[in-house]
Amino acid sequence: MAEKQLGATAAASAFQKDWFAQLRRRVFEQREPYALVQADVPFELFDLLDVPAVSNQWWAAVIAAKQQAGGLLDAMAADGLHDGLCRYCSLGYASMRYGDAASAPWGGLPPPRLLCARLTCDCIHRVFSLWADTCGAEFVEIDHAGAGELQPEWWTLGRRRWRELVEPHRLAFTVAALEALVARLEAISGRRLDYGALRARLDRVNQQEEIFDEVRSLIASAPRCPVRMNEQITNVMATQWVRGSDWALSHARAFRDEVKQRVNAGVAACPGERVRLMWVGAGLWHDTDFYTAFEASHGAVFVWSMYLAFGPDGYIRYGLDDPMAALASRTASFNEYLHNPPWAPDWIAHQATQHRIDAALILRPRSMKPSATGRLFIERALERAGVPVLPIEGDVVDARAWDPDAARATVRSFLDERVGA
Amino acid sequence: MSTAIDTLTAACNNAFAQLGQSAEHDRRVVVTSWPSLPVEIVRACELRLVVTRASTRATPAADAHLEAGLFPGRVRQLVDAALGGRLSSVARVVIPRTSDSDYKCFLYLREFVRGGLAAAMAPTALFDLLQSDGPHVRRHNVACTRALLNSLAATSSHHPSDDEVRDEIRVTNVARAAVRRLAALRIGAPRASGTELFPVLAAFWHVPPREYTRLANQVAEDLSDRSPLRGPQVLLAGAPVDGIGLHAAIESRGAVVVDELSAWSSPGTDDDVRCDEDPIAALADAYRRRTIGPRLPIGTMHDRVKRALGHVDAVVISLPEDDATFGWDYPALRDDLTARGLPHAVLRGDAHGDLTPDDGEHIERLVDAATQRRAFHG
Repeated sequence: MAEKQLGATAAASAFQKDWFAQLRRRVFEQREPYALVQADVPFELFDLLDVPAVSNQWWAAVIAAKQQAGGLLDAMAADGLHDGLCRYCSLGYASMRYGDAASAPWGGLPPPRLLCARLTCDCIHRVFSLWADTCGAEFVEIDHAGAGELQPEWWTLGRRRWRELVEPHRLAFTVAALEALVARLEAISGRRLDYGALRARLDRVNQQEEIFDEVRSLIASAPRCPVRMNEQITNVMATQWVRGSDWALSHARAFRDEVKQRVNAGVAACPGERVRLMWVGAGLWHDTDFYTAFEASHGAVFVWSMYLAFGPDGYIRYGLDDPMAALASRTASFNEYLHNPPWAPDWIAHQATQHRIDAALILRPRSMKPSATGRLFIERALERAGVPVLPIEGDVVDARAWDPDAARATVRSFLDERVGA
Repeated sequence: MSTAIDTLTAACNNAFAQLGQSAEHDRRVVVTSWPSLPVEIVRACELRLVVTRASTRATPAADAHLEAGLFPGRVRQLVDAALGGRLSSVARVVIPRTSDSDYKCFLYLREFVRGGLAAAMAPTALFDLLQSDGPHVRRHNVACTRALLNSLAATSSHHPSDDEVRDEIRVTNVARAAVRRLAALRIGAPRASGTELFPVLAAFWHVPPREYTRLANQVAEDLSDRSPLRGPQVLLAGAPVDGIGLHAAIESRGAVVVDELSAWSSPGTDDDVRCDEDPIAALADAYRRRTIGPRLPIGTMHDRVKRALGHVDAVVISLPEDDATFGWDYPALRDDLTARGLPHAVLRGDAHGDLTPDDGEHIERLVDAATQRRAFHG
């Protein structure tokens, strides 16, 4: 594994491990409730009502990074679950349903009191219903109304004109769904949601994402990329799961300051940088070394992923008179912006231009339907913007069919032949 | 063969294929991607519904834009028709929120128009009927069903009153009763094969209700004189089918498909739609609760399967490459079938393509097992 270049990265990793250990203590020793949730649910509500929330995608990434996914995926197959079903959203379920098939990282997930998911794709209702049955927990769904008015340049509206971005009926629907979630959380925790506290929390989330916006600008404008994509992700996501908290704000500032120092000092993640790469899609959690594998041979550095870029564009909401509506405007559309037309192609092409991207690698994850759709539109938008594209066939948590050497050879050929690196 | 069967089969099979041949004919047509659009509303607005179906017809234009292995054949057919200009004269394209694939189909169609790839396509709208729980879901569904009515009324220049919608519900309920009568002929001592009856049942969506009722009742009369078919009786489960490819493959090996989990033939198991109060709300509720598809809650689907298991000897579970949902139901279904002593087979091939050798072998083994079971149990 490539060495960590930033002190902030080590601090973020240590925080996550400690946070998880504390969660286990709270659940096992103090019998406190916690929730297992999809990455796109509003974590702020859980935190304000003192029900800690663990991101399903984060836990799946941890399992994959610890190389423990294979046994679980084999157990799923042995139970008759076919290989076309989404592995990313279900690996956490597998870690409980087929727990004997792998060694759970960090002691494993304790039994949750609640599961919560936004019904992004068709399988979510199934996976979380099965998961809830497995651990005897309650499942709260957040459904969402489909967008009928499709605004391509969504990132120009989200911050201040979010009431224009999300149609009124969709906003009202999502507010009602979030209020139903709050009612369940209040019943579990015995607390009442303080809307003033929600407003203050969202204001702090705005501050945090503004800091990430600064970091993004630093990376985009620096002569050479100051921080590897892997380390961007570690710092950003450790912060996003507890966004708006004291630690999150403090860590975001520390991360920004360290990046700024590196830029001011002319420090590059890869001193021999010649090619700036973009990664489109979720991370290859089982092979994160992939992202540094082309630095020595081609001076090719992964500069951009959605994880940092989506923070400022997807989360900032100014005008918090009605904080639940502001929060709902973020929840109403989420994955759609990252994957599907008209939203994703234009945004990603715009980001490529801003970051002076030379080439893009686009994940083609056959088993993850929502992430896999829209890919051809994104590829064409990037090629139109003058960015050569290489699709990468792989799964973000399932390494069983992944040939790291072959994948690296394919990228090297692409860099040689299409990018001229 | 009965003339009524021919007429209804042709109505099921040809409605989508005929689009693009006559602008005059197409002008009153609403095209959709799955039978989850309230047909009563379409007809109350004096329009005709045509539902896309998968077929073996190649879809090169769609394949250039739809990622491989993610979209069912019916969506590929619809997109191909749109890009090829065959939907340019229809009144409306309305895509229901039945599945993620359908929603993405809507987004793609709009993107084709934005990008100038399908400039001649008819106006495309989303019918955002959700199938999850919650009081806010019902409010939303009623509103979007009313919006559908208003939109279609504006297209057709005929805005039906609530009483007209009620009348449409009533005559459609009579057609549903005719479907139920036909479906009953499949239970116990089946008088017709699934290959023969599925298109007749599915024609419910394409044929005006009074005509459908007359023809379906004629079919029922004709079939009642037939001798019962022999062979083990099979339920077709898993990803909902919209054609007879699997029926034919199973029945050519000596079994009879007596039921399938599909919105196409589901009026045969549905109750009437109530029309005593708000007819729009009644339709929203009915289509939310009944439409078989990936977004139908798992509990409702289980209830439907359990009802069907009472009258079959074996189950074929179709889980094609694009399935993202029904495969999750398999372990529980397998355990239930095992507990009941019912044999089953899982097929992974495309339900509309040529049967793979593996799938063919699975069916043959299943039919053998079901035949033995039937002989043993009488």
